[in-house]
Amino acid sequence: MADDVRDRSDGDLHELLRRRQDLARPAPADLSALAARASTRASVQRAVDNLDLAHLQVLEAAMLVSTIDPESVAASLGVTSTATVRVLLQDLWTVALLWRGAEGLRLVRTVAEVLPQAAGLGPSAREQYGALSPPEELVALAQTAPPPARAILDRLTWGPPSAVLPMGAPDRVAEGARWLAEHQLVLTPSADRLVLPREVALALRGGRSHAQPALDPPRPSGTQRTAQDVDGAAGQQVTDLLSLVDDVATEWGLRPPRVLRSGGLAVRDLKRLASALDVDVVRAAFLAELTYAAGLLADDGSLDAAWAPTPAYDEWQKQPGDRRWAVLARSWLLTTRAPHLVGTTPPGGAGTINALGPQAHWPPARGLRRDVLDQLDQVPSWLAPEAGQLCEALRWRRPRRLPGNLDEVVAAVLRESEWLGVTGRGAISSAGRALLADQDEARLAAAMQPHLPEPVKHVLLQADLTAVAPGPLAGGLSTFMRLVADIESRGGATVYRFTTDSVRRGLDAGWSVDQVLGALEDASHTPVPQPLEYLVRDVARRHGQTRVGAMRAYVRCDDETTLGAMLAERELSPLQLRRIAATVLVSPVAAETVVEFLRENGFAPVAETPDGGVVIPSSAGHRTPLQRRSAPVTAHAVDDELVSTLVVALRAGEEAAAFQREERASRQGPSLPSTDPTTTLAVLREAAADRQAVWVGYSDADGQVRRLLFHPHRVEGGRVHGTAEGSPRTLSIHRVTGAAPD
Amino acid sequence: MPDGPLIVQSDKTLLLEVDHPRAEEARRAIAPFAELERAPEHIHTYRVTPLGLWNARAAGHDAEQVVNALITFSRYAVPHALLVDVAETMDRYGRLTLEKDPDHGLVLRTTDRPVLEEVLRHKKIKPLVGARLDDDRVAVHPSERGHLKQELLKVGWPAEDEAGYVDGEAHAISLDSSDWSLRPYQQQAVDGFWHGGSGVVVLPCGAGKTLVGAGAMAKAQATTLILVTNTVSARQWRDELLRRTTLTDDEIGEYSGARKEIRPVTIATYQVLTTRRKGAYTHLDLLDARDWGLILYDEVHLLPAPIFRMTADLQARRRLGLTATLVREDGREADVFSLIGPKRYDAPWKDIEAQGYIAPADCVEVRVTLPDPDRLAYAVAEPEDRYRLASCSPVKVPVVEQLVRQHRGEPTLVIGQYLDQLDELAERLGADVITGETPVSQRQKLFQAFRVGEIGLLVVSKVANFSIDLPEASVAIQVSGTFGSRQEEAQRLGRVLRPKGDGRTAHFYTVVARDTVDAEFAAHRQRFLAEQGYAYRIVDAGDLPTPAA
Repeated sequence: MADDVRDRSDGDLHELLRRRQDLARPAPADLSALAARASTRASVQRAVDNLDLAHLQVLEAAMLVSTIDPESVAASLGVTSTATVRVLLQDLWTVALLWRGAEGLRLVRTVAEVLPQAAGLGPSAREQYGALSPPEELVALAQTAPPPARAILDRLTWGPPSAVLPMGAPDRVAEGARWLAEHQLVLTPSADRLVLPREVALALRGGRSHAQPALDPPRPSGTQRTAQDVDGAAGQQVTDLLSLVDDVATEWGLRPPRVLRSGGLAVRDLKRLASALDVDVVRAAFLAELTYAAGLLADDGSLDAAWAPTPAYDEWQKQPGDRRWAVLARSWLLTTRAPHLVGTTPPGGAGTINALGPQAHWPPARGLRRDVLDQLDQVPSWLAPEAGQLCEALRWRRPRRLPGNLDEVVAAVLRESEWLGVTGRGAISSAGRALLADQDEARLAAAMQPHLPEPVKHVLLQADLTAVAPGPLAGGLSTFMRLVADIESRGGATVYRFTTDSVRRGLDAGWSVDQVLGALEDASHTPVPQPLEYLVRDVARRHGQTRVGAMRAYVRCDDETTLGAMLAERELSPLQLRRIAATVLVSPVAAETVVEFLRENGFAPVAETPDGGVVIPSSAGHRTPLQRRSAPVTAHAVDDELVSTLVVALRAGEEAAAFQREERASRQGPSLPSTDPTTTLAVLREAAADRQAVWVGYSDADGQVRRLLFHPHRVEGGRVHGTAEGSPRTLSIHRVTGAAPD
Repeated sequence: MPDGPLIVQSDKTLLLEVDHPRAEEARRAIAPFAELERAPEHIHTYRVTPLGLWNARAAGHDAEQVVNALITFSRYAVPHALLVDVAETMDRYGRLTLEKDPDHGLVLRTTDRPVLEEVLRHKKIKPLVGARLDDDRVAVHPSERGHLKQELLKVGWPAEDEAGYVDGEAHAISLDSSDWSLRPYQQQAVDGFWHGGSGVVVLPCGAGKTLVGAGAMAKAQATTLILVTNTVSARQWRDELLRRTTLTDDEIGEYSGARKEIRPVTIATYQVLTTRRKGAYTHLDLLDARDWGLILYDEVHLLPAPIFRMTADLQARRRLGLTATLVREDGREADVFSLIGPKRYDAPWKDIEAQGYIAPADCVEVRVTLPDPDRLAYAVAEPEDRYRLASCSPVKVPVVEQLVRQHRGEPTLVIGQYLDQLDELAERLGADVITGETPVSQRQKLFQAFRVGEIGLLVVSKVANFSIDLPEASVAIQVSGTFGSRQEEAQRLGRVLRPKGDGRTAHFYTVVARDTVDAEFAAHRQRFLAEQGYAYRIVDAGDLPTPAA
């Protein structure tokens, strides 16, 4: 293998490192190191997982043939085109899953470990039954099988090769299984398990590795759309999206929802957002997650934490629509958050996953999203493939790396990409292609720009107290309209309604009547309708009529002159007295201090209780209740009783130790030094290979270390399987304190 | 990107920019399937509802036309989901058809078997149908025709009623058009109705709905039952029919609390039909008294629930509903659709006003400020008393006086809800009061005097809301109303919108107490006016012009 890697051309090496990027980091010291790393289990696993179905099938077929050449692999697969197989084999060589030795192509040793049941074939029967009959006889024998046995064989032939006989299986099934075992057609590792040995399976398959070779990728079909349809629909979705993101920010800017202790958004708050935006909960969750992923929204980190828009939102908001889209689309493509999980039950958990919560973070989401979009990108232009066919194509593309709920994930990605305008009516849009081509933000924005409606800079004000923006509003105007009016309907246009509350919101935000009316006048080509102007003025008339504030003390006196004197007194300036009515002064200083200060300066105030009574100090002196103090610590001297107890305990300990020594001397086997796991593993592996027994120290469930004479069979996945005291045992390596050969 | 006049919103509303050069074209294209919701000055809002789409189907439009209209006139890309929804909704109409079968009588036929299976399994529909005739048809008892249509609409599979109508007892009726003729839109309304069989004609108050009724009778040439809201209205129908048709006094009967005449054309009030004695409707016989060929419903939006139930049994007769608005405050629009029929004709107020058939109106809200003691009384009042307290405030009286003075010489109505307030106003203004307690003869005498100009001012309670005809009222002053009812506003505005002899502008004042629920309710009503395209102003009582003494 190392020689093969050393003999590769620079181009080949370049391709190898490009396709198996894990080999390049950290940079290997030399080509031998590269070869060694390329054959490690982790790296091979990664490479195999990345194979598409065609390469995987060829690789599996190659594992079955004695000499790896295109003809025999093609024969094993049952296909006629050796040329295709040749190319695929070459590819597998390029990624160093095959290597070329003196006798031709060879498999990298670890591939067999990674694919233990390659092509759905079980272990060889040679160990249990010795040499089996030739294939023709096996087939002939199988044909004589009674129907139940035949049915079992049919089920196992194309894999998976093992089956479990359920408890209470019908007699004829058990009968069939017994017949198969008697005729040595299956292995029976335990009473209720059947495994079809590879020799039998291959014979029954007629020597072929796969039932359905799939060397060509499936071509998804669907509905053909036109460029105008697709880009038009995308543009319209983006208009909606941008407006909705603004709504999220406006809504949460005014009423920030609480951050749950577990870090997410409460279901109730999500529902409230959905109803405020007039969308369903799924879309509301998507919008919240998208805004969060784009950094436009964050946990404000305060003591009573809440979700609120970030300053980045204000920057984002000022940009033109196409730029804003580019930011959102890019964040969506790269985020590892999975909005579609919101509202579902976490695997193996209880309750539901909250939006913005840690459980909606699902790293595979990014790769899968990219895979789905790549598939969309590969179909002919403006074709909207069906979701089912897209799943098929994905399963071909990544047979070993797909989640069980692929259909759901694909549906979610399609839904989200539609909302984002990455697709329009199911087909990828021009802007979507630009996104997948990883273009920079400016070019991405430019791809979307022609499909977005021109921003408008005016609204139509109407006497029924509505305003209609006949297109997306330019940034500042949009913010203003959202502030002083409520959105009633959205789509191509936005309908705003002015209400008492909405106008008051504007005034609360610091706008004056004339500013509001001025801004409305500027935004409208027609004069402000009289009823609208009246409404604004009417709200303003009452706005701020009543004032509310907080102070720590008040001074009241029926004699205005006395209060005037206090205000004029320089010595009282630390009290920061302020007159709020003819007979009332207020101060931000505590009431007791105010009383004291006034007394010092020749006034004669009396303190008042909150309900207006006069505070009369009880008796002369000040009293305080006693604080509880802890009792002082005292040490007790060592007395005789204690000493004798101690001595008895020490004796008992000594005897126990002696007993243990005696026991250790009398027991079988060598002493067991504690060995490090590497050594332990090596000892166990060696013993497994040589079929030798070993003494192991094993820490049991109670933490007691026990000695065992152990016959290891195989070591894998951090465990060692074998037999001890005549029964099968599996030990975890990390619990083995030491091992020594018998 | 096409620059159309229409913007399609995601909530299925359509915004029509009225100043756009293609606005009229677009309006005509969308009118068959979209209901006009608001018509303020710049942008009109239409709503696409399932009922509207089915109305369009009933009128012979198909989904392709609807989708095409939307795409042709839309400024931006139309949401795909909406187009799909339109097509799917429209497709539901006509899968089920009610037909006459020579052997089995009334049958429900389907063109889509799963739909029939679905509805037949519905527990409310099962008892309404009879034996299954074959895969596609099921027998229906004629008495369940109405109920079945109601229930089918509820489950979203409206049935097309093609079972036809009985001709009824023939009776010669024709329009006496020696000195007048039907206006073009009235003719269109009559034709639309006749073509459709049964249905509702929507026309603004003052646009001559009675004449549409007369036109329909002339088409039907059969005995007719006319259902109206009250006795005064019944008498007006009678007068109008005598004047506009060849019918004579002997041919028209009145069936009301006072008289029980059954003649070839009988005018009955809702009230008498819904009178119950010992839990039974005592006048139901009227419906079967003759073999009616046409049933006319005046003011469909006020149709009381028992009449709906009775109508369900009258499905074999032609039905014409007349109304100014399909908006029902009780939300029973679907019953109107299934029991009386789909909308057959509709014209926006503004269009008819522009054609000069109804008077232009100047709507003004006058705000009065309650004096301090009243504000305090208002603040501590129980919520249910607040409206009365605010709307009956005595500060409104001088304002009304001032307005009356300002329009001296013009026929003026003062309209209110509370009798004490009306009595007080009448006393101060020296005018007569008409309330529910006023005898019919007295009412008619006063109306007549008002009509001929003998008296120029009347104070009326809400009895004036419905179906009285005061051709020359050109000023209405509203002092209190029924909690912001939009429908009432339409009716009251209708009072002054009837065409004036000299084309004067009508004036419509609402006097409202500031900062109270009165103003809140007024805001609802005002919104309705603005939505109907009437500009309105708000003035403070102090800013009213003082008429020269």
